[in-house]
Amino acid sequence: MYRIRFHGRGGQGMKTASRILGTAFFLEGYEVQDAPRYGAERRGAPIFAYVRADRAPINERGIIRHPDLVIVADDSLVPVPAAGVLAGITEHTLMLINSAEKEEVWKERLNHSGSILTLPVAADMIEKAELPYVGAACAGAAACLTGVITEASLEQAIRDELAELGADVVEKNLHNALTAYQAMAPHAGQVEEGSLVSADGYQVPDWIDLPFDDARISAPSIHAAATSVMIKTGLWRTQRPVIDYDRCKGCWWVCSSYCPDGAINVVDAMPVIDYDHCKGCMVCVAQCPSHAIEAIPEKQAQAKEEDARLVMGETT
Amino acid sequence: MKRTLLTGNGAAAWGARLAAVDYVPAFPITPQTEIIETLADWIDAGEMAGRLVTMESEHSMITAAGGAAATGVRVFSATSSQGLLYAMEMLYTVSGWRAPFVLTNVSRGLSSPITLEPDHNDILAARDSGFLQIHCASCQEVLDSTLMAYRLAEDERVRLPVIVNLDGFYLSFTREPVEIPDADAARQFVGSFDAENIRFRASAPESQAVAVLGGGPYSYFRYETHLAAMNGLAVYDEIAEEFSECFGRKHEAVEAYKTDDADYLFVMMGSFATKAREAVDRLREEGWAIGLLRPRLLRPLPAARLQQLLAGRKGVAVIDQNISMGMGGVLHSELASVLYGRNDAPPVLASFIGGLGGRDISTEEFFEMAQALRQAVKLGQAPPPRLLYTETELREVRKLQAIAQVERSTLST
Amino acid sequence: MTDKNHTIHSIKDLPSTHLLGTGTPMCSGCGALEAVHQIYDILGKKTVFVNAAGCMTLLSVYPFTPFRGSWLYTAMASAPAGAQGVRDALDILLQQNRIEQDEDLEVVVLTGDGAAYGMGLSATSGTMERKLDYIYICYDNEGYGNTGQQYSGATPHAARTSTSQGVSGFAGYKKNLFDIWVAHKPAYVATVIGADPLDLAKKIEKARSIEGPRMILALSPCPTGWDYDPRETVNIGRLAVKTGVWPLKEYVDGQLVHTRIPRQRVPVEEYLKLQGRFSHLFEPERNEALLAEIQAKVDAYWEKVPAQEK
Repeated sequence: MYRIRFHGRGGQGMKTASRILGTAFFLEGYEVQDAPRYGAERRGAPIFAYVRADRAPINERGIIRHPDLVIVADDSLVPVPAAGVLAGITEHTLMLINSAEKEEVWKERLNHSGSILTLPVAADMIEKAELPYVGAACAGAAACLTGVITEASLEQAIRDELAELGADVVEKNLHNALTAYQAMAPHAGQVEEGSLVSADGYQVPDWIDLPFDDARISAPSIHAAATSVMIKTGLWRTQRPVIDYDRCKGCWWVCSSYCPDGAINVVDAMPVIDYDHCKGCMVCVAQCPSHAIEAIPEKQAQAKEEDARLVMGETT
Repeated sequence: MKRTLLTGNGAAAWGARLAAVDYVPAFPITPQTEIIETLADWIDAGEMAGRLVTMESEHSMITAAGGAAATGVRVFSATSSQGLLYAMEMLYTVSGWRAPFVLTNVSRGLSSPITLEPDHNDILAARDSGFLQIHCASCQEVLDSTLMAYRLAEDERVRLPVIVNLDGFYLSFTREPVEIPDADAARQFVGSFDAENIRFRASAPESQAVAVLGGGPYSYFRYETHLAAMNGLAVYDEIAEEFSECFGRKHEAVEAYKTDDADYLFVMMGSFATKAREAVDRLREEGWAIGLLRPRLLRPLPAARLQQLLAGRKGVAVIDQNISMGMGGVLHSELASVLYGRNDAPPVLASFIGGLGGRDISTEEFFEMAQALRQAVKLGQAPPPRLLYTETELREVRKLQAIAQVERSTLST
Repeated sequence: MTDKNHTIHSIKDLPSTHLLGTGTPMCSGCGALEAVHQIYDILGKKTVFVNAAGCMTLLSVYPFTPFRGSWLYTAMASAPAGAQGVRDALDILLQQNRIEQDEDLEVVVLTGDGAAYGMGLSATSGTMERKLDYIYICYDNEGYGNTGQQYSGATPHAARTSTSQGVSGFAGYKKNLFDIWVAHKPAYVATVIGADPLDLAKKIEKARSIEGPRMILALSPCPTGWDYDPRETVNIGRLAVKTGVWPLKEYVDGQLVHTRIPRQRVPVEEYLKLQGRFSHLFEPERNEALLAEIQAKVDAYWEKVPAQEK
């Protein structure tokens, strides 16, 4: 059985990717399960979707614990624990990361004993989270890696799944998916179907008897204020608002009041953006009367920060 | 006939469409909403006849469903979880009207704490409502059961509303290959509904659902409803047979998977039962004589069939995806009552509770339950009820509790 | 059509034989039944009454029903939703030619104030939102009458109920359900009372000739809950109108019109003193402050009624 997981952000078309791949498998005569994993799914927040495919009817259900193939649509998610990209991967798992960085870099960074491939899908597509072009490209690459899906089935699957979005969208996705499919050609069939769990020598679950806790502990109550600040929603951001303090008139209220998340505070009469929590909605950019806030791609901003850090390191 | 990929929600919508329903009172709730969105799209696009009305609550939705059924049209509706509970007064009420219709419930755990993920406490809260219940384990079953449910509900020996249940997420949002029967074949199988003398017409004054005074008439009407539900057993078997002849898929009241020679059985309902099927296959590879029973029909409960299938087994593990506070697993209690006093009852009937709020049950856990069962049989004593819960999970909860600032000093590990 | 729709012009046009069957278990002197039987005479038997839990639930007790047309008991909160289901089903049957036009029924909700002012308000609002074609009748006896007259959202200020037994009676104020309905802009809204059968009949006749949600609020003097001699039901009803406590009015085509203007308003205490539920305002001594407050509320209402109406 093939067990395949797609990781991305809400809005990047992971559900579409799983559906395209599911349909492509189905067209090749496979039994299929595909599903998105919703939760607090929001634009920009990490989500995943999965596909199972087998020649026999599938009895497994739910989340995939040990995937044969993991496709990451957005490489910034890899180090985010909440995204669960690395959950259950083994040396058997093939990882495909949509990234401009080299495979060797990822291999070293993740200390992954299995194979890692990268698929550099145009960065601007990611930045704009152009739904669902990234998803289709990921599905196309995955289809090739399985080695059992023809280009024709992939094309048909995209036409089936995206028909409602109109001919233009279908053609763009088709182009991206087929490009990704062809780019993976040297690795066609590299995904290996995982084996079934054996009832002989399995890992015994660490069951416990749940202890009684009284209601002061066991009621679903939070005995504290504003614990939500521990959640770094800044990880959702693909675009970053940056204040140009030369142009900022210090009006003290516009960006700060309109920011839905309250992630802009006025400090010493000047607004300061809390990047740990800014989700990148760009309301501030749209509202600033003096156009002092600029949207720049998050990755670019991070790269700049990294450079700055290196420079600092060199000089000190 | 067309075989395609459908979600459980999509399959439910197709079931309603193929049953040619006239009327769909609706109210959105996760994870059911896709069903009514799909039906609304089809009706708006003219692909499906019928009328969909979004009500202001599930309580109103079930009242409208009952009102329309009592007027003599074919009705479909869908809900989930809190919605089913919000409608609970009307579930009991409309079943007593003897006005049949079909309701899809997409199972989701109940508040508190509120969650989006599935277990069966919602549907089991409706266990005694007078609605018959069919529990599905695949998207195909959802579609097929919806068609069968109309036959069951509208049969003159039954005349009760039916709930078709599917699990949230694991079926509702999961696509699987589903055969969609041809509209004509489905239409022919479901047939048309004649409410006969239970309907509203100007020429025939009728007072429906009237009050009674005194326990005598009350008991009469209530017990007649029970007898009708019991008739559902034989009627269901007939319908399943006919369905299998028409469409080649047999959906028995109780699925018995590799049970012929089985010393040990898992018993569970809903989509997680396919995980048990998988575990049975793996265990059999290692020489286990083990199988799975999956009641599809919960009301009426196919007691005789269960007795027959459970007879002479060494040990049975009932896995409940629900919990009755202060008692334990509901299905376990039901089976215990079915087996009480029978000489051929399995000596060990073990209770496991798992999958609450969508908590996964791993294959390894099925293996371990089988081991526990074999051990219990050896000792001749049923093990205490067990919640499938790991030390790792508790450790994770303890981390959350630390953030929630519960008193740490009193926490055990 | 006007002949058919508007046949009642004077008291002489009112029916003298009545459609609603006798033999019901309503209290003797019931002001709600008085209004309902008058309404039924006008609406006729091509109706299905969809009932919400309340006193009138007991109109139909197996195997006895006073209705010559049809009836469906639902529950306390959702009778309007039941009406939605029945109306939609009839429309579907008509549309598909599965029934003849003359098999159609007027769908009528029958509810007490307990449901109408409280638990059932959301379902009622929903039907107005959806422009449901039905008639809604609330018999308002200003408390949860069927359970022994506890206060409800309809209970007037200072009334003693079985849950407001203190010296000042009910501390709250009667909710303005009429205006709540009007805010939904339904097809028709009217207040009626059984003590003015001509006004009632004309309004029900008008309601019958209109499509859409038609809302009727009937003040229903209640000998049991209001604590008075049953023979006084009509007198008390008349006084409710003459004192201005119960304005008879209608909202149609976006216009509000008072159908009876009590030009020489009788002091409110004439209405109050006949009812045991207000006896604490008079005994052991007159509660002048409360009486004045109640009178002032009524005066304030009528002061706002435009001069051209008066």
